Amino acid sequence: MTGKPKILYVSHNHPTIRPGGAEAYAYELYRAVRDGDEFEPLFLARTGPPVSISSRYHEGTLLTGVNEDPNQYFFYTDTLEYDWLNGTPRGKPALIKYLREFLLAQQPDVVHLQHTLFFGYDMLRELRNTLGDEVPILYTLHEFLPICHRNGQLVRTTTEKPCREESPRRCHECFPEVSPQAFFMRKRFIQSQMSVVDRFLAPSSFLRDRFVDWGLPAEKVVFEEYGRLPVEAAQTRERRQRNRLAFFGQLSYFKGVNVLLRAMKRLQEDGVDVHLSVHGANLELQPDDFRSEFDELLEATKDTVSFEGEFNHDDLPTLMADADWVVVPSVWWENSPLVIQEAGQHRRPVIASDIGGMAEKVHDGVSGLHFRANDPASLAETIRRAVSTRKLWEELQRQIDPPYAMDEHVRSLTRHYKELMASKLEDELVTPPAPATEIEGVRYA
Amino acid sequence: MPETELERVSKPREAAAEPLVALLAADVLAVHSGPDEAEPDLELAGAEIATQVSRRLGDGDAGQLTVAILDRAAPEELRSSCVDLRTLLRERLASLSAGERAEVLELLDEVAAADPQDEVSLSTSRALAREGLRDPLPPSTVERDEPQGLHFDSVLALADDAFYVRGWARDGQAALRRLTTVSPEGSRIELLPGIHREPRPDVDSFYEAPTQTGPDGTGFLGYCETRSPSLLSSGWILEMENALGVGREVPGPQVSRDLLAARAAILSDLHKESGWETGLMDHVVPAVTRIQQRLEERAEIEEVFEYGEAPASPAASIVVPLYGRIDFLEHQLAQFVHDPELRESDLIYVLDSPELAAALETSAGQLFELYGLPFRVAVLSQNGGYSVANNRGASLARGKHLLLLNSDVLPDAPGWLGQLSAFYEETEGIGALGPKLLFEDDTLQHAGIRFQRPPGGGAWENEHYFKGLHRGLPAANVTRRVPAVSGACLMIERELFEDLDGLRGMYVQGDYEDTDLCLRLRERDLDTWYLPEVELYHLEGQSYALETRTAMSRYNVWLHTRLWDSEIEAAMAATE
Repeated sequence: MTGKPKILYVSHNHPTIRPGGAEAYAYELYRAVRDGDEFEPLFLARTGPPVSISSRYHEGTLLTGVNEDPNQYFFYTDTLEYDWLNGTPRGKPALIKYLREFLLAQQPDVVHLQHTLFFGYDMLRELRNTLGDEVPILYTLHEFLPICHRNGQLVRTTTEKPCREESPRRCHECFPEVSPQAFFMRKRFIQSQMSVVDRFLAPSSFLRDRFVDWGLPAEKVVFEEYGRLPVEAAQTRERRQRNRLAFFGQLSYFKGVNVLLRAMKRLQEDGVDVHLSVHGANLELQPDDFRSEFDELLEATKDTVSFEGEFNHDDLPTLMADADWVVVPSVWWENSPLVIQEAGQHRRPVIASDIGGMAEKVHDGVSGLHFRANDPASLAETIRRAVSTRKLWEELQRQIDPPYAMDEHVRSLTRHYKELMASKLEDELVTPPAPATEIEGVRYA
Repeated sequence: MPETELERVSKPREAAAEPLVALLAADVLAVHSGPDEAEPDLELAGAEIATQVSRRLGDGDAGQLTVAILDRAAPEELRSSCVDLRTLLRERLASLSAGERAEVLELLDEVAAADPQDEVSLSTSRALAREGLRDPLPPSTVERDEPQGLHFDSVLALADDAFYVRGWARDGQAALRRLTTVSPEGSRIELLPGIHREPRPDVDSFYEAPTQTGPDGTGFLGYCETRSPSLLSSGWILEMENALGVGREVPGPQVSRDLLAARAAILSDLHKESGWETGLMDHVVPAVTRIQQRLEERAEIEEVFEYGEAPASPAASIVVPLYGRIDFLEHQLAQFVHDPELRESDLIYVLDSPELAAALETSAGQLFELYGLPFRVAVLSQNGGYSVANNRGASLARGKHLLLLNSDVLPDAPGWLGQLSAFYEETEGIGALGPKLLFEDDTLQHAGIRFQRPPGGGAWENEHYFKGLHRGLPAANVTRRVPAVSGACLMIERELFEDLDGLRGMYVQGDYEDTDLCLRLRERDLDTWYLPEVELYHLEGQSYALETRTAMSRYNVWLHTRLWDSEIEAAMAATE
């Protein structure tokens, strides 16, 4: 017992099990808070299928330790009986027994959720019921899963175009097998659970606005960018022409890699002197038509594009050193793409789609360049301009803002935690705890 | 399973006869064994039987003989004299004239009707008596040049004494004088003239000679009742006789006892009809009503699970039938949890899908742990339908007000229940109260119900005011009296609901019970009100397949108009 307030971080995965942006950030945050002296953090990482073979480790509990750190736990949940539409386990023992016992044993003073995926949105209800009204609950919104049943992609299944406006009717158009009424109930159900959260943290203003449009009370959703641990910037080689591009990310439709390859094909046909390295994995998980298109484009651009396959994050400085520009051509909105932050840390200007989180994080003509999303001609034109305009690269590079530092982020979060703890304490002094306080701001109409 | 040697040897052969005698005795004993008399006097009973039989049969040979048999029905001799019903019939009654034997059968039917039993062994004895005593008519054969043709298509058992029969009868010689079905137990039903007739061109074209059976049609179908219970599945007979006295008979088919299949078959007959006033409805209505009664009787509350402590004297009780989609419970609780009033109310779920009882019990307990909102779950022993589920739930209610609520209704904001209760409380002469109901896209699902009949007359249909228009429509935001409101969310005083015996179960599967209730309130000069400031979502249409609803809707709408034509007319006149 340290006497310091306990912050419980909940993540849908542990980065040592499977790497991923949100879980890597969550874990870095945990360690940064642990290294500080204000709080005692706990890290509860969900695991189980599909990331691990087994759905529990010990008999009679869903918990097990991660390593010698006494404050890190794995929490096993099963996905067999998971309602993917409503984001809730069909049976509740994981929440009402195992999670409850953990909470009662640990008695956290603040809960900061990084995700409720695989636990179920109703874990929020369990947190609130068991910990009481005086424990602040914060929730970092990493993506759009609550809004969009298509894995939070916000891209319509009908047109593959980004979607800006969800409604039961439109969601039903994307998923004809799910009735509009079921989508309505899904939204109300998720919002009911989310109503117990005291503060939502949005890493991009774009995401914040989407969630406020969707129905979260505006006063509860605040912008808070991801903090980055410091890294040494990659080497910048002296070169006459800044014509080396790099793509880092999943090889999927949504990440727009084929849009980029089509742009490269045009540039190659026009004889533009430019080179692209594609670093990415998970091609084997993609649908056949995407893969065959990718393969065809790669073949057609073999003189100017090299496909490097999966990359190790530790090699990023080396890979960045080889590149002048980083291209982020996603055809969906994105939130706050990690790759843009990393490009910033290594001081590489970014060529990005002009929508959503990308448009927000890359300032067109200042720290990078925009092109019309999902438009290979526009991208080709932008690349041509980037590689052929004298001194443009240097100018943009100079204007890249340093990424938001983790220690600054931790200081900001500390203010959030303290402020909420204090206001809870005030609530308690002013009004006796009533079960009704959570209705505040829950009117969705 | 084949009968074992041991069972065959050990089975007392006289057993078959006993219920028959016991039945006669019981009939008489009913007169003699008053509340003080613990031990009925069997000797006296025997004498009384003799007197009764003698009185009913007169002093002829048949009477004398029957008296002789029954007079000896004193306890000790009863068994020895009635060792074998077959022997008894052969030796004692076979020599009677046909008329006298018919009268004996008639008497048996009368006595059985006076004290209906549901014992198959009694029915077996009576069937034996019927075969021993009746004179069969010549069998009918279906041949082109045969003047008489007769066929018994189906017998649907709706209750022990209620049947829906179907077949055809034609005669190329003379008009039909009589068409009679005989139950295996010997109950005779004269089908003419009440049975519904329909054309059977397929039958008519088969025969060479044109039918003389009249303009009504060769086919017949309809509802009929036996005087005494009929439990046996085989042994029905159809008899006909023409004006010249020529008679024929055919054996009937196996009786079908599946109530839901019977209901579907009977309702599908309405496809042939063009309106609610037609003759077939005179048969379909009593038939379906009997089925609905049976279904209702079977659907008792089997278990009640209590989660948390229900408030002792709640202002309102909410009754929510759950049918099929038990997951709606979770969705409702996830909304009700925001509303402090719901914690103070008496929330009753009624499971009308008994096969889901175990799943619901597990889920309900876990959901209570998660949401902490007290509620009860009543499990029905059988599926009973919308009205039964509501009525059974209401029987558990403790609140002053009762709210009938569908499981696919979700509130828009807290406070709705109290608003409804307050309005009900302060409004004089109110009977039923309904709020605004919305579709999931914020258009109006319900703003009160009016009745409308198609141009040129026809059955009255329920129309929701302003359906599909935006929730903000000024005309839909007027608090007012309306002809009726939807049962998806309907408030009524509990005592009043009980006094009306709840919703009426004659309608099929959740339709028109609500307007029926409002019209019954209207008969008592009580108003139905629409309260637009209370808004809930009604996510309708997720439970039933559309096709099954069509046949049911047709029936419901016709039945509703049969019952309420003039009252609806008055209600609409008062509204416009």
